[in-house]
Amino acid sequence: MILESATIYGLEIPFIEGFSHSTKSRTFSDAIVVKVRSSEGVTGYGEGLPRPYVTGESRDTVLQNLQESLWPAIRQKDIPAFEEDRSLAALLRLSETIPPALVEGGVIHNAARAAMELAVIDCGLRTANIGLAAVLPPKRQTVVYSGVISTSSVEGATKRARQMKVLGLDSIKVKVGTQDDLKRLEAIRQVVGPGVSLRVDANGAWTVDEAIAILQAMESIDIAAVEQPIPPGNVAGLAKLRKNSPIPVMVDESLVTEADAGQLIAAQACDFFNIRVSKCGGLVPTLAIAKQAHQGRIKIQVGSQVGETAILSAVGRHVAASLPEVSFVEGSFGTLLLSQDVSHENISFGYGGEAPTQRGPGWGIRVLEERLEKYASTIVSL
Amino acid sequence: MSIRPFVKGIYDQQIDELTGSREFKALELGEATRQEYDAFIGNVIITHLNSPQFLAFLYSVAPPAARDRLKDNMLEELGLEEETGDSHPDLLRKLADGAGLKGRLADFEQQADERLREVTSTRLLYGTLKEAGLSSMCEINAFEYMLSRVSGAIAVALEQHRGLDSDTLLWFTHHSVVDVQHAEEGFRSIDDFVEYYDFSEEDAQTIVEMSLRENTYIKRYFGDISQGRAAGMLRDDP
Repeated sequence: MILESATIYGLEIPFIEGFSHSTKSRTFSDAIVVKVRSSEGVTGYGEGLPRPYVTGESRDTVLQNLQESLWPAIRQKDIPAFEEDRSLAALLRLSETIPPALVEGGVIHNAARAAMELAVIDCGLRTANIGLAAVLPPKRQTVVYSGVISTSSVEGATKRARQMKVLGLDSIKVKVGTQDDLKRLEAIRQVVGPGVSLRVDANGAWTVDEAIAILQAMESIDIAAVEQPIPPGNVAGLAKLRKNSPIPVMVDESLVTEADAGQLIAAQACDFFNIRVSKCGGLVPTLAIAKQAHQGRIKIQVGSQVGETAILSAVGRHVAASLPEVSFVEGSFGTLLLSQDVSHENISFGYGGEAPTQRGPGWGIRVLEERLEKYASTIVSL
Repeated sequence: MSIRPFVKGIYDQQIDELTGSREFKALELGEATRQEYDAFIGNVIITHLNSPQFLAFLYSVAPPAARDRLKDNMLEELGLEEETGDSHPDLLRKLADGAGLKGRLADFEQQADERLREVTSTRLLYGTLKEAGLSSMCEINAFEYMLSRVSGAIAVALEQHRGLDSDTLLWFTHHSVVDVQHAEEGFRSIDDFVEYYDFSEEDAQTIVEMSLRENTYIKRYFGDISQGRAAGMLRDDP
């Protein structure tokens, strides 16, 4: 397969409601979608969402990296698709044609690499007219998603909890890092009852000592895990916290690369990895980190990016369906959050957070180009 | 138990947002371009062309106390209970014709059908049809309530600033009359629905809130980007 052209879409899709956590509020999707086209006229789509507090990337760095580094490295090169070999090894070979994420000045260009890698893999799968499930067989037919309650007042959290209850969700993540966390969690627990799994995500809002004190106070509310309690870059602090926390520790912003995963496992700094395709640099790096987790007896949450479109949601669902064990899955909010999504198929989960595994060529969705054009504030043709 | 005040409160707020929106004011004041008037007319047609089918769904899950009301409403939409005999979709086709948009009617019909496909293909958020029915009832009644208050003003604006005649505007003027009754009946049907299907007040209000999270009026009549700007989700470009 020879890739002849690429188009980058910098999107701004309005949310139905704003979403906040301890460090950021969002009101629209800032997804960056890459479309590649082969000499045979087959197209593939990928997506990345830059998060400065995770990889250091911004929209500008992603656009620049795609144009100046990633696309020139693969343009007009003969890239192995899946025509004859549909093994995992073929997927790895295809991914290896995309250069590793550039690391410079504290920025790890993983979202940019993810967007390009996913587009090329989608194109390769479509060239062979197969879905990712042919390469990465699902181990379950249904993926069950968690709900998420963003930071808000106690009253707002109570309202959200009632919504989650009506939607039949039995697993909910609550964004914390505010003064009212305990009151909010108690109110949520009271609404959803004891049978619903609650976990919290501080997005690095606490120091180690603060986290220990707060988590001890939360113990009676029955919290399944605390995600990213302290800022990234402090593996020793995480290890200390884990030893002293009554609640299992999950890492997110601290886990961006395979090297991070190795350090966290070696230091026994966490109980869970939150793996997300965009921040991890694409599908294959994500699978590699998941493998490290499995070998290191670390549990896995397949996470998502707030504001991701159907492209990343579909990829995330494939990942969640294919892994041997997954504790929690997030994402696939689709039109529950976005005013409109970019695919013909509605990717949103339904009652109970359930959604079927994806079928059909590529990611199993049909991206609507007119939607990309409608929401694009930036379009770059390469 | 009546959730009418709760539902009405949300409707009223969203109607205020609609009539206060930049796009609506431009239509009313004659400041919109011909293209914007036509886009609005097209969006009205797309939004309401398949209304009889949505009403038929409500009729299929209607509780005994609301059954006749919903049947009458559905038959009226289908033009089977009126002296003129025009169905509401036919009134919308007449609107397209009178506005010089007949050539785009096939596109409007295709978009209306696509919306129906999307609604039908989206995974159900609720565990049973009773929740889905309450949600649909709130959304459909929202439009009847809004039209009973606003469609007369829209007709005047389209007559004065877009030059449409009264025959072309029949869909709007008709709704300004009949939807007063329909909206009133809609509130009673919602309460009947909540009572018959044994909703708790808390669950009923939660479903209403979820169903009316975004301003559907602005979204359907002016597009989701306008709605995103009105709701502060996107920058409000001048």
